[in-house]
Amino acid sequence: MATALPTGLAPSGLRSTWASVRLSVLQFLADPQWLIPSMIAPVIFGIVSFELVVGSGPYYLVYAILGAGMMSMWGQTLYGSGWATGQDREYGTLEPTIQAPSPYLYVVLGRVLWNVISGLIGGGIVYLVVVAAAGELPTLDNPLLFAGLFVFVMFTLASVGIVLAAFYVYTRYAGFIQNIGEFAFYVGTGCMFPVIFLPWWTNPVSLVFPPTWALDALRYASIPGYQGFGWGFGVDLAGAAGTTAVYLILAHQVFRRVERHVLEVGNLSEY
Amino acid sequence: MPTPTVIEARAVRRVFESRKGFLFTDVTRTEALRGVDLTVERGEIFGLLGPNGAGKTTLTKILSTLLIPTSGEAKVLGLDVVRQAAELRPRIGLVLGGERGLYYRVSARENLRYFADLFGVPLDQRAARIDEVLERVGLSAAADRRVEEFSRGMKQKLHLARGILHRPELLFLDEPTIGLDPKSARETRKLIRALIEDGVTIFLTTHYMFEAEELCHRLAVLSKGQIVARDTVAGLRRLVGGDRTIEVEAYGFEDEEIETVRRLPGVSRVVSEEFGPRLRLTLRIATSETTPDDVRAALASHAELTVRERPTQLEDVYLDLVEEEAN
Repeated sequence: MATALPTGLAPSGLRSTWASVRLSVLQFLADPQWLIPSMIAPVIFGIVSFELVVGSGPYYLVYAILGAGMMSMWGQTLYGSGWATGQDREYGTLEPTIQAPSPYLYVVLGRVLWNVISGLIGGGIVYLVVVAAAGELPTLDNPLLFAGLFVFVMFTLASVGIVLAAFYVYTRYAGFIQNIGEFAFYVGTGCMFPVIFLPWWTNPVSLVFPPTWALDALRYASIPGYQGFGWGFGVDLAGAAGTTAVYLILAHQVFRRVERHVLEVGNLSEY
Repeated sequence: MPTPTVIEARAVRRVFESRKGFLFTDVTRTEALRGVDLTVERGEIFGLLGPNGAGKTTLTKILSTLLIPTSGEAKVLGLDVVRQAAELRPRIGLVLGGERGLYYRVSARENLRYFADLFGVPLDQRAARIDEVLERVGLSAAADRRVEEFSRGMKQKLHLARGILHRPELLFLDEPTIGLDPKSARETRKLIRALIEDGVTIFLTTHYMFEAEELCHRLAVLSKGQIVARDTVAGLRRLVGGDRTIEVEAYGFEDEEIETVRRLPGVSRVVSEEFGPRLRLTLRIATSETTPDDVRAALASHAELTVRERPTQLEDVYLDLVEEEAN
């Protein structure tokens, strides 16, 4: 008999996720267009951000790093996964990937992981550029907590990104949805500036998204005297963890339904 | 003991809906499959023939778990293609072919490695298996080149390599030689025959009649979403009325002349078609009673008459069946 596999067994989720990370890295390295958003843009963002806030207070370096860091990281982490799924449609690789025994969610998870890593590389570049421009290190009470929260913010962005990727499986018009929400999301979750500066009625909408909580927690931890929503660091952290968990559960459910839906509709080969 | 029947489709129907408009959508429904019944036995090459839009790819996608039928039931390797898709997928291979469907910025080897992981090819066998399939499809020398540098034929070979990578029990091939040069197409057919020797069952759709005739143990003809015939090549020949074909060409025939030819012994079918300035009558003949000389005698009034006999080809059978269905 020709089968080498134990029949009826799919590969482990870990293996599929790693395969997806690996392919994402290879595609990233093979395509020079990524150099601009991931390597060159953070340098420019870092310089501009530094020039904007230089001398504006004792924590100006933290503001510069947070502002430019988020600017260079959020899009890549949040939308990279969705965009890569759209690319699967364009390449015609969505059909063979869905037809493989591994659930497509693992493929998306792999891309999300790589996007988090590449986003963090961008954040790292911003940090180095701002520090080099200032000639001094930022004033941080707890640098380790700051770095950890930075990574955590990336994961909260990624959790929204996974759900967004499902739209790209669902329909070839997902880019339309993304373009509508892109800057509203950027402003509405506090990537640009704290959400409390926005009209009060927008706050409940903002709190639906995990990055809003995580970014508020990050500002609490890095800027002494920061007020934010006023309920403190602990509540922000718990809110971020809770909403992220909800998004991950949602992603799992959404992907199951979306995979079923696209097989019913038969639009996997459309692009 | 594996079951002898590897594909069993019962009354499979598939309707596609396409929508136009944004606020006021106009829905168009197309019935791609209209109740298909089909069985494929283990170890055979089963060919599915049909004109463009007949529903071949739709049926292939349903059987390979990429589409859900609107109604009806299909079992592959004893598993329901909808409810047990997860268990079925590691055991089947699918080659849809074409220019797309590959990660073109990375190498052939990397494409295969990615899918080897998604298909769960054992880690200790992965590298050797990738080398083996690359060798088998003749891509060893190009293994580390980016797919974007590949010709259409090389991409088709890579599709095939991906399809057999995880050693499927059943392989779906959707027009595997389309776009290939004659040499590559011949090598692909050789590979398909070799797979059968390895115990793989093959479900093949093709436009090329000679390919179906050369490869397939059994065939089905799909027309307008329905199977109009299924049998061996010899059986299909009998179905359309004979192993022998006589072609007659002249500058036009009277209706009475065509009727005279139709009444000759053993003539089961007469098809007339324009052939440049001339008219060609194609006679399908079941027995040896009527010879080319008999036909010549029946049309003696024509001075410029060309009569020739040849064996009935699968293409004749196919055209008869599809034309019959269209009428």
